[in-house]
Amino acid sequence: MRVQVKLFAFFREGRFVKEDKELPEGTTAGAVVDDLNIDREEVGVLMINSRHCKFETVLQEGDIYAIFPVIGGG
Amino acid sequence: MVAEQDLKEIIRILLECSQGNVLSLADQKEIAEKFDCLLCDIEKIALEHSIVPARFTRNSLSCHEQLRLFQSRVAIIGCGGLGGRTAELLARIGIGHLTLTDPDIFSESNLNRQIFCNAETLGYNKVEVISSELQKINPVLTTDIHINTFDAASVAEADIVIDGLDSATARKDLVKLCQKQNIPIVHGAVKEWYGQIGVDRSANNLVCSLYPQATNSATAPNVMPMTVALLAAMQAAEVCKFLLGKGSLIDEGWLQCDLLFSEYDHIKNTLC
Repeated sequence: MRVQVKLFAFFREGRFVKEDKELPEGTTAGAVVDDLNIDREEVGVLMINSRHCKFETVLQEGDIYAIFPVIGGG
Repeated sequence: MVAEQDLKEIIRILLECSQGNVLSLADQKEIAEKFDCLLCDIEKIALEHSIVPARFTRNSLSCHEQLRLFQSRVAIIGCGGLGGRTAELLARIGIGHLTLTDPDIFSESNLNRQIFCNAETLGYNKVEVISSELQKINPVLTTDIHINTFDAASVAEADIVIDGLDSATARKDLVKLCQKQNIPIVHGAVKEWYGQIGVDRSANNLVCSLYPQATNSATAPNVMPMTVALLAAMQAAEVCKFLLGKGSLIDEGWLQCDLLFSEYDHIKNTLC
């Protein structure tokens, strides 16, 4: 299935801003994070089609999946 | 406080020396001394009579709006990069009262981004330095300072709170404190070239949505000075818009700011 993955802030560095990915059926949001070598502890918000989701959420054909890091400084 | 019998005479002098229009700081000081009252007492009377202090003539705000800002109280929690800069901007625009809370002293690693950190202020309490410097910018401003991590006193009587904190757990504690009293928080956070800003209210639970995991970063994040300046300016603008009833584009979520890729995205918070 085809899913568009969008990265935000420093997750973009050395990776991409957005990319269409061909993923096996049943792939979870968390598995994409792991494949991108993103530490789950650094993840803030995950969204599928502009709605919040969890690492366990299963992606579907045509989803737009956004991954935001925790930004914590003040 | 201004004595009742002095009020009429003060108004007469204000109208005369301002020619019914603009009041200089020198005249304001002279009137305050003459009637043994505070600069802020004179400022209030002037604004109530459509006389604008010269300090604010370039603000592009109406006299009524300027009075609203003057009568407002803003609490700044965390006076590092974001907190220090928002304090400076809010003092310049004419907020009447700021409550500043931070337990720390200025150290060398603050020099890249904290506006009141310089070679002479290293080692001094941040809130003491900031309060004193703000007086030079806006001598009519009143401040309370709290040299500690925040508590209920830090947000007492505040119309709105600025989040200048640097940990997820502290932010969540601040949210609990403010939601109890129904005080909105202008959240801001920065890291490297990136930042985020939004307004947390009881109804939207923004901060808890942005920090779903309880953990704090083990090390303080690196932050570029431009990121701090931009996000602090946005926080100060949101404060003023809230106080002036102007509404906000980021009421429904947050603005994700990326200075490296020059991208600014409004993200709707679907967890509210």
